[in-house]
Amino acid sequence: MRDAFFRALAGLGAADERVWALTGDLGLGLFEPFEAVAPGRYLNVGIAEQTLVGVAAGLAYAGKVPFAYSIAPFVTSRAHDQVRVDVACAGANVKLVGVGSGVSYGTLGPTHHAIDDIALTRVLPGMTVLAPGDPAEAERAARAAYAHEGPVYLRLGKNGEPALLPEAAGFRIGRAVELRDGGDVTIASTGTALREATAAADLLAGEGIDATLLHFGTVKPFDADALIAAAARTGAVVTVEEHSVVGGFGSAAAEVLAESGVGALLRRIGLPDTFAHAVGSRDYLVDRYGLAGPAVADAARGLLERSPTWQTT
Amino acid sequence: MSTGADLRHEADAARRIVLEAALASGSCHIGSSLSIVDILTVLYQRALRAGAGDRFLLSKGHAASALYAVLARTGVLDEAEVIAGYCRDGGTYAGHPERHVPGVELTAGSLGHGVAVALGRALADRTDGRDARTYCLVGDGELDEGSVWEAVALAGHLAPPGLRLIVDANGFQGLGRVGEVLSLEPLGEKFRAFGWIVSEVDGHSHAALECALGAPARRPVAIVARTVKGFGVPALEGEFMSHYRSFRPHERDILFAGLDGLAEAA
Repeated sequence: MRDAFFRALAGLGAADERVWALTGDLGLGLFEPFEAVAPGRYLNVGIAEQTLVGVAAGLAYAGKVPFAYSIAPFVTSRAHDQVRVDVACAGANVKLVGVGSGVSYGTLGPTHHAIDDIALTRVLPGMTVLAPGDPAEAERAARAAYAHEGPVYLRLGKNGEPALLPEAAGFRIGRAVELRDGGDVTIASTGTALREATAAADLLAGEGIDATLLHFGTVKPFDADALIAAAARTGAVVTVEEHSVVGGFGSAAAEVLAESGVGALLRRIGLPDTFAHAVGSRDYLVDRYGLAGPAVADAARGLLERSPTWQTT
Repeated sequence: MSTGADLRHEADAARRIVLEAALASGSCHIGSSLSIVDILTVLYQRALRAGAGDRFLLSKGHAASALYAVLARTGVLDEAEVIAGYCRDGGTYAGHPERHVPGVELTAGSLGHGVAVALGRALADRTDGRDARTYCLVGDGELDEGSVWEAVALAGHLAPPGLRLIVDANGFQGLGRVGEVLSLEPLGEKFRAFGWIVSEVDGHSHAALECALGAPARRPVAIVARTVKGFGVPALEGEFMSHYRSFRPHERDILFAGLDGLAEAA
């Protein structure tokens, strides 16, 4: 996903002289293609995230389109006041890019895990929050971020994510993609958790349970219509995200469902209000903290057992 | 070209707007605004070159009323609207400035943000081949913020020629004298160590300010302006509480007594 983003970034830099690429001293070897096509518009500010975001804002005020890149918690949490004031409150056309969503930095530990970045960005007025589900969508999301006038946070995984989305899915900010349209339960996921959501839907299908599978490449603005329609049809919703269950995608879904009057059952799957202190790879941690496909399928079955209309055979 | 007397008149008029707005709203931060009125007056009346695209970013946002006042004197804002709309219910001019207000280049209030943003603007100018200057003003208390020094270090390293940082060294911060809370003196030496050109001036001397603000340079310049908090109001000058004190209409004479004296001296 990271490499896909950098392909898109180089393309944008070649096509538009307003595009700048900034980093807080991260991304070894990744910026060279951009530098080659956009000389003088690549800047490593050093290990200084507040300056990274502040300089990006200054460039944006001058009419540039800066992409400010770092590991997700550093660009969203470490520099949050600059994101809040210089970018969001001022309405700056800055594209914040966080690599390493959720626990994708695995063994490097909780300082490098992004379990609160969605919460920290979606709470800011005017911020658009994008979380692509596979590498090809990361490229599409980067181009959409560029085309959108205003603050964007682009949440990326790392590398090696499988291709899960059809090319025809396209990418429109604020629009979820319905990948399956089963009538029994809705599985709604964002970002890299699409892998686990897809695995869960496969497991359920093997048992004769047909899931609607909704992928949200955008967390904010939230596609309330898509979720409410699916919830009304299935009566049960499981949200899946590589993020804390507090304040993130599942919280956004809960807000929408609670106010919709649909009355669907809801279960949020994500890090259960804990840092991932256990040591291990991304996949190990996803399993250890209950986000893996089988756990998501279990959550779906649990909702169906509570559902007054669900008939077990 | 205006004369020195014109500048004194302009600064005096701007101070009056600051005080009228403070009196009308019953708001605080009067001393913080008064310490930079002379700086901003010289900056806007003499140093900023409109044709070159020069701009000013107020990083110590709590001195917003001084910025509004000088913007009113230069015709960007309306003086009566500033006085009526500063820190009032339904007003237009908040106690800390926002970019959507005409003439305001930086949303400020959370301290330590301005230098990095100004650096970004100066880098854009250099890349685009523009000979524009980006002036940014910080308070000496604001220098406690680590983010200031991140940006000062990077600016010294990248050395965009148009960057100008003004330090309003009025010697006070939130809970006391800067020298007692967190002394960063010698200030000039610190900026020099980061590769900046430094000048130190009397922040109320119009001639000295004009010289320092307009001086040509090919790398970032830090202008350490030694100022008096509450300048122009004897009851507030050099007073720690000038940051917090507010005035009621019946105390009008206390606020304006010094200004009449300044006008007579001029």
